[in-house]
Amino acid sequence: MNETQTETKTKTALDVPWNVVVHNDPVNLMSYVTMVFRRVFGYSKEKAEQHMMEVHQKGRSVVWSGGRERAELYVQQLHGYLLLATMERSE
Amino acid sequence: MNIERDENGGFVFSEVEPPLVALFLAIPSSADPEGSQAAADRLFPAPTAKDPGINEEWAEYVRPELREAFENAATTVEADLEPMVTGGEGWTIPLDHVDVWLNTLNQARLVLAAKFDVGEEDMNHTAPYPPESERGMAISQIHVYGLLQECLIQGLE
Repeated sequence: MNETQTETKTKTALDVPWNVVVHNDPVNLMSYVTMVFRRVFGYSKEKAEQHMMEVHQKGRSVVWSGGRERAELYVQQLHGYLLLATMERSE
Repeated sequence: MNIERDENGGFVFSEVEPPLVALFLAIPSSADPEGSQAAADRLFPAPTAKDPGINEEWAEYVRPELREAFENAATTVEADLEPMVTGGEGWTIPLDHVDVWLNTLNQARLVLAAKFDVGEEDMNHTAPYPPESERGMAISQIHVYGLLQECLIQGLE
């Protein structure tokens, strides 16, 4: 592999956005999850409720996408609020 | 039980019935995952499903911070409940303690659910449970703590 190919591959890997995913949990209150989304992401009540309902009905919701460092920070905050959250590379 | 707001926005609980006193005093100890791997796994989940490298770093650097934050929150709650330990019929949650209360109540609910394998059916009251059993008691605790959380969240809005 030449230098240009290596550089391109590395750049592509770094550029792939990460999704922050919140998973359903039967114990956390809907109102609590909505409150956390508003606090962590600054979402409006309507947007926070949409994500909360998606988590509740579909089992998961991608609540944010972007760079890895920011994704890690958000997952750490969500874990601090005891939500089941993971990060994954966007496909 | 009565709930009022004081002049600083704090939540004042009074005339708490004895069975509820016992449940509320049990909040900090219920939040302790000690002795249950399922409870520890729930309080400290891995941040990725497919990246062991990130998960290992997380366990080393992030988990201890979270553990300390959770323990500090439970200690604050325990101190706020002190008046009831000494025979009082109520206690106050200062406004700037509401977040740690929400956190500790959530810890307790999740730990109890993990320890007693409480799922969707239990939470939706669609599964029968004998309230006098240890598991039934845990489910009751989860519901009571949830009501308190709901009350605090509504009070913040």
